[in-house]
Amino acid sequence: MKGLLHAVYGLLHPVLRQCPVCLREVRGEPAPSPVPVWHPEARMRLDRLCGACATRIPWIWAPMCPVCGRPGRCGDCLRRKLTHFNGVRCAVQYRDEMKGWLADFKYRGAERYAEIMAAMLSGAMERLRADFGGAFDLITAVPLAPGRLEERGFNQAERIAAAVSAWYGIPYRELLKRTRDTDKQSGKARRGRIEDMRGLFAPVEGFAVERQPERSLRILIADDIYTTGSTMNDCARAILQAAPGAEVYGIAWSRT
Amino acid sequence: MKATVYAVRLQTGWQARYTVDWETDEGVWLDPDYRHGVAEGWGAAAADLPRATGAIVKLKRALPLGEAEAACGQLQAALTGRREQGEAEVGALLQRLCGDAAGAGGKYAKLGELWLGLGRGRREGSEWLGASAGAAKEGCELLSSLSGGKYGRGAAAGKLEAMRLRVLVPLMEGRSLLQAEASALLADRAPGIALGTGLPGLLQLGALFGVLRLGAAVALGAPPRARRLRCRRCGSGEAALRRTACASCGSAACAVCEACLALGRSRACGLLVRGPAPAASPLGAAAAAAGPLAADVCARWGLSLAQRAASEQAVRFLLAESGRARTAGRDASGFWRLSMDRLRTSLNFHAGSLQRGKFSERSTARLDAPYGDPLAIQPRSFLLWAVTGAGKTEMIFPLLDAVLGAGGRALLATPRRDVVLELAPRLAKAFPSRSMAVLYGGSGDRWQQADLTLATTHQLMRFGQAFDLVLIDELDAFPYHGDPMLHYAAAAARKPDGATVLLSATPPAAMRRAVSFGRLPCAKVPVRYHRHPLPVPHVYIMAPMKRWSSGGLTDDAKKARDFSSRIAGRQASALYARIGASLARGAQVFIFVPYIKQIEALVALFRRQAPRWGISAASIDGTSSQDDGRRDKVMAFRERELRLLVTTTILERGVTVPRSDVFILDAHAKLFDEAALVQMAGRAGRSADDPDGRVCFCAAHRTRALAGAIRQVTAMNRLARSGGYLLDLPRDERRIRLGSRLNGVFKPSRRQGGRS
Repeated sequence: MKGLLHAVYGLLHPVLRQCPVCLREVRGEPAPSPVPVWHPEARMRLDRLCGACATRIPWIWAPMCPVCGRPGRCGDCLRRKLTHFNGVRCAVQYRDEMKGWLADFKYRGAERYAEIMAAMLSGAMERLRADFGGAFDLITAVPLAPGRLEERGFNQAERIAAAVSAWYGIPYRELLKRTRDTDKQSGKARRGRIEDMRGLFAPVEGFAVERQPERSLRILIADDIYTTGSTMNDCARAILQAAPGAEVYGIAWSRT
Repeated sequence: MKATVYAVRLQTGWQARYTVDWETDEGVWLDPDYRHGVAEGWGAAAADLPRATGAIVKLKRALPLGEAEAACGQLQAALTGRREQGEAEVGALLQRLCGDAAGAGGKYAKLGELWLGLGRGRREGSEWLGASAGAAKEGCELLSSLSGGKYGRGAAAGKLEAMRLRVLVPLMEGRSLLQAEASALLADRAPGIALGTGLPGLLQLGALFGVLRLGAAVALGAPPRARRLRCRRCGSGEAALRRTACASCGSAACAVCEACLALGRSRACGLLVRGPAPAASPLGAAAAAAGPLAADVCARWGLSLAQRAASEQAVRFLLAESGRARTAGRDASGFWRLSMDRLRTSLNFHAGSLQRGKFSERSTARLDAPYGDPLAIQPRSFLLWAVTGAGKTEMIFPLLDAVLGAGGRALLATPRRDVVLELAPRLAKAFPSRSMAVLYGGSGDRWQQADLTLATTHQLMRFGQAFDLVLIDELDAFPYHGDPMLHYAAAAARKPDGATVLLSATPPAAMRRAVSFGRLPCAKVPVRYHRHPLPVPHVYIMAPMKRWSSGGLTDDAKKARDFSSRIAGRQASALYARIGASLARGAQVFIFVPYIKQIEALVALFRRQAPRWGISAASIDGTSSQDDGRRDKVMAFRERELRLLVTTTILERGVTVPRSDVFILDAHAKLFDEAALVQMAGRAGRSADDPDGRVCFCAAHRTRALAGAIRQVTAMNRLARSGGYLLDLPRDERRIRLGSRLNGVFKPSRRQGGRS
C-alpha cells in the first residue's frame, strides 16, 4: 500500500534532478551558463550541473601560452629544454573548487565525477582542435602505477579519456606504462617533479601502429592535471620512442 | 580484490570456502608445520583444529570477491543437499557454479570440456583436473594433504601470524571496517604489527579461526531480496549503487556504494571485516543476578522528580529481562511483532555463539546484517520523550551508569558535532573511571575501543554489533531523521540483544502512534527542570511577511493606497508593539523566519524600529547557516549584547538563552512542521527566573502543524499538572493564556489575514 502511494506520489511530483557534483536536487531546468564546449553529448552532461556548481567552474577562455595553453605567463614552457609534445590545452584552472572535485573523484573514488570531468575535458579537446587542426588518430591516457591502480580501482585519466574518445570518435588505445612507482606528485616542488619524471614512462610491449605514409601519426595524451608539464613531456618522449615521426598532443582537465 | 573458492572435506562432510589469501588457507589445511605453528601461536592444540580428511578441490581462477562469496554460498548449498560426493563431482560442481558466477555465456560448452578434462584426470591419476591442456588458468585443481613439506612457510611463520592475530582480534571487537580502515586501525593501535601487504593473510587466518568475519562490502541481500545487491556497511540498496569497471577485481561491472562514499569506498570486491560475534549482553544477566535497583541507580544523579521517574522507567527497561520488555506490548499485533523480533534476534544470537567456536565450522562466518525497513522502529527500543528544557542530558547519565555498571558498552549518538564536543567533558567528569572515545569527522580517537562512545551518527558506520545500549539523541533532527543509511548504521551498531533508547522532545508522528498503540515503551517528562509549565504559544493571524516586510521600502504609490497593504501595515505595527513590549520587559527576542533570504531585509526593517523600542540598532542582527560568524552572534545574544536575533530553523535546537521571547513569522510556512514549531517555542522560558517566556506564532492562517504544536504543548502541560510535577503557585500567578483572548489587541478579520 505504501509502495503504491509512493508510486502515485512520484507521478505527481515535479521532476527533480540531482546535480552530479553537489548532489542537491534541482527543480526544473537550470539557467544555461556559457561553456566553451560544442559537442552535444558533453554539453548535455554539463547541463546537469546545478547553477551554483556550473558558475563555479573557472574555465580557461583565452589561453595565452601557445605551447601549454596557460591563461597567463608561463615559465615552465620557457624553461623546458626539450619539448617532445607539439601542444597541450587545458580546460579549467586548478583552483580550490576544482581541487575539491578532483580530490572527490580521485582519492575518495566518487566516480560520478567521471562524466562531468570528461565533458569539461572536451573544452580542452575543442580548443586543441581549433588551434592545431583536427583529426587525431589515437587517444591514450597517462597510466597509473599498477599498485595504485589496484588500490584505487580505476585510472581517472583513462576514465575521462575513454569518454572523450567515444564522443569525438578517436580510438582509445593503451600505449604507455609506468616503469617504476613514484610517490604522489602532489606536494612536491618543481625540481623534484622533473627529476622524478625522467624516464618514468615507457611504451607498452607490442606498441605497433600501422604507419600512414602520407602524413605523420597524430596521437593525443589525456591527463587530469598539468602542473609543470614533466609528466606530459615524458609520456610524449615515450611515444616518440616507439613511433618516431608521430605528432604528440596533450589535453588536460586542469592547469595550475 | 580477488578471492579463491575451494571445497575441503572435513569430518562432517564437504565444506565450501573462499579465501582472500590462498597461501594462508593452503598452509593451514595442507602444511603440517605451519599448522602446528599457528596452533601454538594461537594457544590451542593442533589436534583441535579441524583437519582436512581428503583432498581440497580448488578453482584455479580467482574470482572477484563478491562473486566468490556468492559462488561459495551456492556451492555449500549444493554440497549439503547431497550425501556423499567424490572429488571429481565436487570439482565439476564448483566449476559449473563459478562459470555461472562469472556470467559466462558458454555454460554448456564449458561443461562438455569439463567432463573431458575429468575423464583424463581420472585416467592419468594426476592431480590436475584442468579443463583443457592449453588453459592452465581454467578449471579446478586437486590438492592433496599428503604432499606436505613442499610448502615453504614453516612453523615459525605460522606462530608469528597467529600471535599477530591475537593482538588484532580485541581491536576488531564490535567493528565493521573496510580493508583500508582495518589497516589504518592497525597502524594506529598496534604499529608493531603493521603490515602493508600481509593484511589479507592475517584477516584470512582470523576468518579460518572464526574470530573475524569477512565478506564483500557490497553483497546480495538477505533472502527476501536475495537478488539485489546491498551495501553491507550502510544498508543502501540498488538505487545508491553504481556499477563501474574495476581495476582491482577485473570485473566490468563492480558495484560501488555511493551513499557512504564519504567514509571510504564500499564495493562488491572490497573486503568488509567484522570483529568476533558478540557475547551475550550483560544487561539481562545483571537483572537476573539482583544487580542494583533502578531507583538506586537514579538516586545518585540529583534529578528532579519528573526526570527521576522517567529515567527510573528507562533503567528498569534496560535491566529488565527480555520477558518483561515483552509485556510492554499491549495490543495483540504489537505483542506478536515484538516477540517475533525477540525470537529472531535470539536466533541470530545463537548463530553468533556457534561461530565463536574455536574453528569455524560454517564455511565462512557470514556477515549478518539487520534487514527489513531500516526506518522501522527497532525491537527493544525505548522512547524518552522529554519536553524542551527538561534536562535530557542529565537523564542520560543514570542510563549510561546502569549499562557501564553492568559491564556493558554504551554509545551516545547525536546528529550534531557541537553537541558531541559540548557533552564530552561532562561525560568524562561523570564517569572518570571509564574509558571514553569521542568520535566525529576528523577526531583523534577514531580507532579507540572504549566503554563509552560519544559519536556523531555518521561514525556509527564503523561499528557492528558493538554496543549494549545505543542512545540516540534528537532522533528527529537532521541528518539522522529520515535517513535510512544512518538508521541502518544505528541498528547495526547495536548488539542483537542490546537496547536502543531514543531521546526526543518532538518524536515523529509514526513513533507517537507506536507509543499510543503500545508498540514502543515510552517515558514522558512533561515538565521542565524548573517545574513551571511550558509557555503556550498564541497565534496572531496577520498578513504574510512579504506583504509588510518590504512595505516601507517600495514607494509604489498604488501599493501604498492599496487597502490590504494598509491592513498589513497596521498588523505589522501591532507586531512591532508586541516585540517592543517583550524588549521592554527585558527579554531577549528570537525572531524565526522560514528562509535565509528574508533575514537581511527584516534586520534592516527592525533596525529602523530600534529607536522606538529604545534599543540601539547595533543590538539587532540576523544569522543563518550560511553565516560564518554565527557562533559569535549567538554568544553575543546570550551575553545580551544583541537583543534581537533574526534567524532560521538552524537555531531551533540546543540554544539556551535565559529570559527569551520567541516570535515565529510566517508560521504557516510549509517549512515549519510541528516538530520545528515545538522546538522553536521551546526556546522561551527556559530559565527558572523567567519561566513565562512569550511565544507568538504569527501566521497568515492556521495550519495543521500550528494546531498540532499548540496541542502538544498543552497536552504536556496537562500531563505535568495531573502528575503533580508543577510548582504550586497561586492561581493568578499562573499565566494560562488562551490564544484568542490575548489576541484581542487588534483583531483582523480572518478574510483579510488569509491568503490573498
